[in-house]
Amino acid sequence: MPSEETKERIIKAVDLARIVVHYGWIPFIIYVGYTRSNPQPSLIKLISPLA
Amino acid sequence: MSSSIPVSVDPPAPDPGPSSLSASRWPFSLYNRFSAWRKALDLPNPGTSENLTKEAKNTLLNNYLFDGARADLSKSLSMNPAFNVTHSFTLGSQTAPPAYHFGAIFANENLFLHGNIDNDGSMSGRINQGWTANNVTKAQAQLSSQAGQNFFQVEHDYQGSDYTLNAKAVNPSPADGTGIYIGSYLQSFTKNLALGVEAVLQRPSPDMADVAAAYMVKYTSTDRNWIATAQVQGAGILQATYWQKLSDKVDVAADLQLVAGQGRRDALASLAARYELRMASFRAQVDSTGKVAAHLEQRFAPTFSFLVSGEIDHFKNAAKVGVGVMIESASFTPEEMALMPPPPGSAGLSAP
Repeated sequence: MPSEETKERIIKAVDLARIVVHYGWIPFIIYVGYTRSNPQPSLIKLISPLA
Repeated sequence: MSSSIPVSVDPPAPDPGPSSLSASRWPFSLYNRFSAWRKALDLPNPGTSENLTKEAKNTLLNNYLFDGARADLSKSLSMNPAFNVTHSFTLGSQTAPPAYHFGAIFANENLFLHGNIDNDGSMSGRINQGWTANNVTKAQAQLSSQAGQNFFQVEHDYQGSDYTLNAKAVNPSPADGTGIYIGSYLQSFTKNLALGVEAVLQRPSPDMADVAAAYMVKYTSTDRNWIATAQVQGAGILQATYWQKLSDKVDVAADLQLVAGQGRRDALASLAARYELRMASFRAQVDSTGKVAAHLEQRFAPTFSFLVSGEIDHFKNAAKVGVGVMIESASFTPEEMALMPPPPGSAGLSAP
């Protein structure tokens, strides 16, 4: 069993990872899709529902 | 998905004799004989335990029903690799407040990424990574700003020639080992019959653990036109489904859920039919709680479809009606479309 200190550190790291995933996941998919798309779309088409 | 390695059904070759030492030593020869015999049976892969009732679920209406108004604008930005974004608006539902969802999907041969975020800031995400044709790792998360509503799950699927293994962890905590851990094994016994077992370890707190087992059986007809499944869970829960394909365009499904034990006796039976026509798909369902429901998806053009969904609860005298549109806009010209290769099959990776 890990010590209390390690446990606290793990909990902090999990919390940080959760926040990163929460706010970073969609931008990450858009980045991956945008850079690997063939042909590369324009940014305005990506974000706006109407363009 | 259910790719069986083509092997001849001839009996295994006779033992080559004492020249090959490694094959004639008893544990190896026994193992070799066993695996040759197993190969000679030529059993199909039974599919994953998660997809045990996939055909019936696709026919049943429960996942398609909605009420109020909705509009889905999806934009396909690339075909290979697949990349599209979705803006979806819902309004006037009896159960949910008006909402806006933004979704993004990226998929290539062995990677599938999906993310969805709503106007409250709740995010759901999913990643499937295929390592080889038989190994897929999947993770999904649902995160919201409220504490205690977060959900995280990671799982790995291995599909052997005639069996499937799956290991899953739900909300695992590396600090104190709490969470729900699930392992399942599904094995084909004949060309039609597959049996499976699932073990669930629940650890709500570090000093509590609870193990439960569940059993699965799946019978597929030889021409694969009908499938019957049953699942029994430890606490007296039984789910049985039956799915039959009547023709290319019509299939029917029945589903029975029984809960008996812990002072509860409850059952729900549903019967559904699906018509898959050239420009429309129609589903209808009745269940034992007096609900009659229907769902129509009519495509007027390849990029525009219209949805109507309705449900009448005869016992409670309640009704739900939904209308929706789905507009798909491609960001490329028809000439560009013609040049593009067809989308890859994304073997082993499928959205739920």
